[in-house]
This record gives sequence, C-alpha cells and structure tokens, in this order.
Amino acid sequence: MSIQMLEQYLNLTSDREQLVVANMANVDTPGYHTRDIDFQGAMRRVVNGSVSGDVTPVALQVAGLPERPDGNNVNLDREGLMLSEVQMQYQIGVQLLKGEFHDILTAINEGK
Amino acid sequence: MLEVSGSALSAERLRAEVVAANIANAESTHTPEGGAFRRKEVVFSTSSPSSFQMLLTGGLHHLPQKAAGMVRITKVVEDKTPPVMRYEPGHPDANKDGYVAYPAINPVEEMVDLMGAVRAYQLNASAVNASKQMIQQSLDILK
Repeated sequence: MSIQMLEQYLNLTSDREQLVVANMANVDTPGYHTRDIDFQGAMRRVVNGSVSGDVTPVALQVAGLPERPDGNNVNLDREGLMLSEVQMQYQIGVQLLKGEFHDILTAINEGK
Repeated sequence: MLEVSGSALSAERLRAEVVAANIANAESTHTPEGGAFRRKEVVFSTSSPSSFQMLLTGGLHHLPQKAAGMVRITKVVEDKTPPVMRYEPGHPDANKDGYVAYPAINPVEEMVDLMGAVRAYQLNASAVNASKQMIQQSLDILK
C-alpha cells in the first residue's frame, strides 16, 4: 500500500470512529438511528484507483437493528465492538504508515 | 471528534442532576410556585441532519464537522402526574379536608433512570479515551 492509500485508509477509519462515537453519544436520544459508512465499498474504490483525491463516504442508516419503543435503535454491544475494531484498524494504519516512512528514511541514510 | 462525546457527557450529567433533584424532593410539599414539587424529566435531541439530507449533501466531508451527532437537552419538562394525596391533618400544607399533596415520585424509577445516566456517562467517557488514543497515535507518526 502506498502512503496515499494509507492516508485514505486512516481518513475512512477516523470517519467511521466519528460515527461510532456519535452513535454512542445518542444512545438515549429518542428517534435516533444508528449510522455507519460502507467502509469496504469505499476502501475497494481506493484500492481500485477509481477515486482521485479524497474519498467521501456517505453516512447510511444501519439496517436490521431492533428499535426500542422510543424509536432509537442504538445497540451498545455493536458500538462497543465497533469502537475497539476501529481503534485497532487505526493502529494498523498508523504502524504501516510509520513503516513506509521508515523505509524512506533507510533509503536516505544508506545512501550516505 | 471529542465535541460529540463531550456534548453527551454534559447531557447525561444534567440528566443525573435532574434525577437527583427528583429524589431529593420526593417529600417536598411546598414550592415557591405553590403546591407540591413536580417531577422533572429531560428531553434529549440530536443536532445531526436526517440521513436523507446527508445523502443529498453527499457525505461527511461536506457537512460542518462539529454538527454531526451532537446531543442537546432541548428542554426540561414537568411530569403531569397528579400529586399523591395523604391524610395528615396536622401538616401545615394540609388542605381543608386534612389531605397533603405529595409529589408523585417513585424512588425505584428514579434510581433506574440514574443508573442509565451513569452507564451512558461511563460509555461516553470511554469513547473520549478511544478518541484520545487515536489522536495520540497519529501524533506518533511524527516520531
């Protein structure tokens, strides 16, 4: 993966984290529906090179979650799991990006 | 990204404070407005636009970032349940028949509400920690 791809990956992951955090924040808001992005679809577009520049994911309502009587369908277990997943994904992205920069640094230093 | 969790933290804190006021005033028969204390409840709402608007605007990056999903307490409403009448002729707030109006507050209901507020507060506090860790990690790229 190139640095540009990793940048997009980190952007998507942090967008997703923002949505998970917003879902958690609205756990008691009547009528609120869980939102998420199509992460795999957006990432596929990045890898295929079909988007130039920033990917703009669309926030969609998550289907298939049972709704409480107040119209809210935030599932705490789902959000908790998603939060740790997103955190780890972000960590992977950061480590890979550091690796890329490290490679460049090695190339610079070994040339001396 | 920390503002969203922060707004939820302050909303849940206010909810806990309102519940605490309800429990504290469960036996208050006298208020400046007259009559027994009225149970109060908070109304939460989200400041995010509907998903339809979101689809139209074409995604997160076109929206003002801080507007997405913030929680607000729009109002604090009074419970309309009529007060409970207890026969206490010696009470200074008793009416002419000897009945005193006590607030219709169920301590169990209030405790459950309080637990819900505390749990939601903890949840959002851990979301703040997660966000902080991610910011810290991106700062580590510089190292």
